[in-house]
Amino acid sequence: MRSERPPVLFAVLAAIGVAFFVLPLVGLLYRAPWETAIGDLTTPEALTALRLSFVVSLAATALALLLGVPLAWVYARVPFRGRDVVRALTTLPIVLPPVVGGVALLFAFGRRGLFGQVLDTMFGIRLPFTTAGAILAATFVAMPFLVLTVEAGLRSMDRRYEDAARTLGASRWLVFRRVTLPLIAPSVFAGAVLCWARALGEFGATITFAGNLPGTTQTLPLAVYIALETRPEVAITLSLVLLVVSLAILVAMRDRYLRAF
Amino acid sequence: MLKAEVALELGTLDLDVTIEAAAGEIVALLGPNGAGKTTFLRAVAGLVPLTRGRVALDEIVLEDIARDIHLPPERRPIGVVFQDYLLFPHLSALENVAFGLRARGFAAREARARAESWLDRLGVAEYAQARPRALSGGQAQRVALARALAIDPRLLLLDEPLAALDASARGDVRRDLKRHLASFAGIRIVITHDPLEAVALADRLVILERGRVVQTGSPTDVTQRPRSRYVADLVGVNLLRGTATAGQVAVSGGATLQSADGVDGEVFAVIHPRAVALHRARPEGSPRNVWRGRASALDFQGDRVRVGVEGEMPIIAEVTPAAVRELDLAEGGEVWVSVKATEITVYPA
Repeated sequence: MRSERPPVLFAVLAAIGVAFFVLPLVGLLYRAPWETAIGDLTTPEALTALRLSFVVSLAATALALLLGVPLAWVYARVPFRGRDVVRALTTLPIVLPPVVGGVALLFAFGRRGLFGQVLDTMFGIRLPFTTAGAILAATFVAMPFLVLTVEAGLRSMDRRYEDAARTLGASRWLVFRRVTLPLIAPSVFAGAVLCWARALGEFGATITFAGNLPGTTQTLPLAVYIALETRPEVAITLSLVLLVVSLAILVAMRDRYLRAF
Repeated sequence: MLKAEVALELGTLDLDVTIEAAAGEIVALLGPNGAGKTTFLRAVAGLVPLTRGRVALDEIVLEDIARDIHLPPERRPIGVVFQDYLLFPHLSALENVAFGLRARGFAAREARARAESWLDRLGVAEYAQARPRALSGGQAQRVALARALAIDPRLLLLDEPLAALDASARGDVRRDLKRHLASFAGIRIVITHDPLEAVALADRLVILERGRVVQTGSPTDVTQRPRSRYVADLVGVNLLRGTATAGQVAVSGGATLQSADGVDGEVFAVIHPRAVALHRARPEGSPRNVWRGRASALDFQGDRVRVGVEGEMPIIAEVTPAAVRELDLAEGGEVWVSVKATEITVYPA
């Protein structure tokens, strides 16, 4: 890369831009109650929220992989009518306010919801205010990141490798398993990590659809929100945990992230 | 025996060719970029759908549009060596060769043993554990050949097998490839845009231009009697088309050539640039064909100069640099051209 000295105006504006993002973090770090941090983190409530957050975000990632990889494949390989519209619909949660997503989920899968009623009366399944509901909410907002990343990976791979595999006698399923998937593994991995990070930080859709029940649906971000009212120092400590995890992901993923979008 | 009638439209390409190959034959499909060579290969392998046509290999019908038969690529007894070889980058050389055997149902141990013996046969056994990126072009080609041959195909298709190599390695790898191709008993079709490669590797050439077969024959036949501008340019000769009556060839530009060959009707006339003499003044003596022109381009190639002469009959002459000095030739300068009647080869179009 060619290095260049920036014009003064650009340097100043860029520095203000950085400050805008860094100052809140400084504020957080400045107020961090370092002496009590370990103690706050090991309280039963914090540990429960932490554990639940990992369970929910990992389950959401697994669900997103199961549904998202085939969906990305269809988007990348099957030129059906209305593909752009369908893709826009499944990408919507990236730009939609999560609380709107939560409301929509509630009216679809809530106890009085269109499909929730059917699930309840026919199968006895109730999603709101359950961990399954929290997983569903997290998947709803996080899966689009995985789908977009995997689709980009599929589109940029050299499809002639698949042709080569077919001439060698491999069925389409074998080609997918032994050739396509290994070749797009970096994209799948990047997509899964982005999806997981988004699921970990999910707040709005979860609290709207799944509620805020400690041990069942109260994930880390919800715990932060609640703690802010009563014990701000705990909120700060939990925020720092989320911050460190998110920052670590972004630093580790920087190349992939930039390439995918 | 292969009989492939392939007709399809893909983008700007309108491909309509019939190519036959006998058992044990090596056929080179030669043509410029965009002629449809690779598309033909992909169609025979089942990777591109035909709009019309039929592909049969011995008694197996691989494709017959009229009867709605389409055998998927994985069920065709065809080995393909792709351009750039396309070795799976995440698998070792051995796993690449074993891939087809595993896909065809061999147990892991058996597939591995067979793949090892194929690598050994092609002289790359020592690279069995290497990843494709660690292989040289020549080694990658042998692994790709082993991978294609391991599935025991009846037909072997090779797409530009030498294009991925450095010019310095090409000669050795070509000799190597010729030897390995000779050891395979089935039909072999090599796709190339390099006439040297085609002539070196194949028993028969099929020339493809703009989706059509323009000529087919032995390498000697095709190079001595080109039937298209493309082949004439490849071989480096002047190709003229005209009508012959009793030794007089009326060329399409309006000029007439005297020939010693007794062919009548629509003909091609080939004049080697070395047989074209250039003079400062109208030459005296025996040459039957003399005309005036203007030197349009001088192309110095070591000890020879190719001179393009514009005029009533545009032609390329090949002379020595000394002759260029003696004639005081410059681009745009006037020059007399002569060709002996016996130096013109005339054959039916």
